[in-house]
Amino acid sequence: MRPLDSSAINHEVGRSGVRPISEILPPSFSGVNLLGHLSKLLQYRDLIWTLSVHRIKVRYKQSVLGIFWAILQPISMMLIFTFIFSLIAKMPSEGAPYAIFAYTALLPWNYFSSGVSNATTSLVSHAQFVTKVYFPREILPITYIIAALFDFGVASTLLAGLMIYYHVPLTINALYAIPIILVLTCFALAMSFFLSATQVRFRDIGVAVPLLLQVWLFATPVIYPLSAVPARWQPLYLLNPMVGIIESFRQGILRGAAPETRYLALSAAISVILLVASYLYFKLVEATMADFV
Amino acid sequence: MIDLKFDRVSKKYRIYQESGVEASPSKLQRVTRRLWGNGNDFWALRDVTFEVKRGEALGIIGQNGAGKSTILKLLYNITAPTKGRISINGRLAALIEVASGFHPDLTGRENVYLNGSLLGMKRREISKKLDSIVDFAGVSAFIDTPVKRYSSGMYLRLGFSIAAHLDPDILLLDEVLAVGDAEFQSKCIERIDQLRKAGTTIVFVSHNLGAVEGLCDRVFLLRKGEIFRSGLPRYVISEYEHMLTNMPASAPARLTGTVASPAAIISSVAFLNSNGRKTTMFATGDEARVEVEYIVRDSFEDAVIEVYFYSIFGNLHTHFSTDVDGSRVDLAPGRGIIEFLCPDLPFEAATFNVEASIRRRGSSFSEHLDHKHAACVNITRGKAVHGAFHTPHTWRMKSLERQESDDAAADAVVKQSD
Repeated sequence: MRPLDSSAINHEVGRSGVRPISEILPPSFSGVNLLGHLSKLLQYRDLIWTLSVHRIKVRYKQSVLGIFWAILQPISMMLIFTFIFSLIAKMPSEGAPYAIFAYTALLPWNYFSSGVSNATTSLVSHAQFVTKVYFPREILPITYIIAALFDFGVASTLLAGLMIYYHVPLTINALYAIPIILVLTCFALAMSFFLSATQVRFRDIGVAVPLLLQVWLFATPVIYPLSAVPARWQPLYLLNPMVGIIESFRQGILRGAAPETRYLALSAAISVILLVASYLYFKLVEATMADFV
Repeated sequence: MIDLKFDRVSKKYRIYQESGVEASPSKLQRVTRRLWGNGNDFWALRDVTFEVKRGEALGIIGQNGAGKSTILKLLYNITAPTKGRISINGRLAALIEVASGFHPDLTGRENVYLNGSLLGMKRREISKKLDSIVDFAGVSAFIDTPVKRYSSGMYLRLGFSIAAHLDPDILLLDEVLAVGDAEFQSKCIERIDQLRKAGTTIVFVSHNLGAVEGLCDRVFLLRKGEIFRSGLPRYVISEYEHMLTNMPASAPARLTGTVASPAAIISSVAFLNSNGRKTTMFATGDEARVEVEYIVRDSFEDAVIEVYFYSIFGNLHTHFSTDVDGSRVDLAPGRGIIEFLCPDLPFEAATFNVEASIRRRGSSFSEHLDHKHAACVNITRGKAVHGAFHTPHTWRMKSLERQESDDAAADAVVKQSD
């Protein structure tokens, strides 16, 4: 008796000609496989897309304000900072209205901070995937960064509104935002790979990251201008890649000037080096991740 | 053509014991131990080498902890080997249930896309197969409902159906037949057959020896992380059965009432088929005899002998008792055999852990004098079971319109014909 012929799987059992050949070896830290890792990642681009869309959808599903939460977060931080640092503490803002001065920095900062903090826990929170199915695990942190980038895009519309309100002219130098965001994305990925992979073994990371990000916010010219930092501390201060990124973003958007090349170049160099190193570290840890997660 | 190759593969797991043998170490010691990686090493696989040819179906059997799942995890790249090299020639997929990855707020459709791409399918491919996936799972009417409103059965079937729609060159199977109802299982078996006929290489890990024998061309018996035997399914499986039957009978932990010096012990339990041959392989509807051999010190009156059938997950499936059957059993001193005869095995195709016990009438289950794990008995597909069990039966037709001649419209008796 074959009771269920109607619902049997009817599509052809596909015999595509190309059979990929793969080798599984004990984990080792080497840059040799970098291209191999990347091409594997590219094969899974549909998964990156689906998971990223999924993140965005799930976040706002069954919430009344939906997508406006993406704006609400930076705007509330802006209002708080404006109240405390402008009205009470009289923080300098280099002539610009403090609200827009803070918001131009909060926008990229928020992208970084929410992306990294979500990405850090991504592997552990998806343990059921990690222990059951194979896919390049870096996809999990990557999709959180993409979702944060989407929120960044949504929150940018408010920046445009503020610029109109405060009569801040938009110049051609605003286009610098594109390479700046690219560098920022590299740096956010570098941090996410390192932190998420480490969190699999040491859950302390999950607790430490919010604290780290809080301290980091104050070590970055978000609520105060770079010029407020004493000159002799600046070389050390600039080693924080977020300094060059945030300062350049503000320079391009708010002041309509080309960013200081050496700031941005330093941030870009540090970000790219860290990205490669932390990606290779991630792939090393990935090999036996499922044993610990 | 070789599709899979293990070349001297070993896999070590590190076990961090929270409360070790030594008096509980200080927090600092525990932290440094973790950082330096000092734990107890456990070799799940040791120096395993084998090859699987294209189109071959390889079965892997062995007791829990022998390393079966580790082989699958390594093949599926869930984790990496500690030593050695694994070569895979072709696209590999596992027929696993992925419902645990469903997001409750998303609809069935959205979850199919999500989990399909997790399994490595392209969006285009998923769109093409969507109808078939949904049909196979039998959830067509609910495809745009959030899966949190699904019943647990629908949930599992949909999760499994996605994996069943992969078209791999190499298929990994791990106790697949534990999902869903009999109807769904038979669809899955059909799908596996379909892939097998199309020349898919298969690696099947299971406790269901009947299923392994039915599907596989070659079987490995794993023991303590090594390939203990390899060869034709029939030989390796019977070797394994032999190994299980001759295991020193260990009283499972939950049986605590065993008396130190029992008045009666079970010395052996044997399973015989209709030809009187010892075996642990039966098919649904077969005749089966269980011979429980005992040794009694002094004469032992009013004994109760019982045979239990447990599922491999440890649920009691059914049990047969001389007590329930009402007959009084008095055992004379010395050795003897009591035979349990089942003319028509009612079980669906599955593997059962059979246990036997001896106790006094009126005593509770846990107060038995002796208890033995008898064997792992495998029931294969014999008489058709689309549900939980088979039972001997007949069919009878009755006409409701008795007109002219009673003799012509006499009740027709139709015998069951399987």
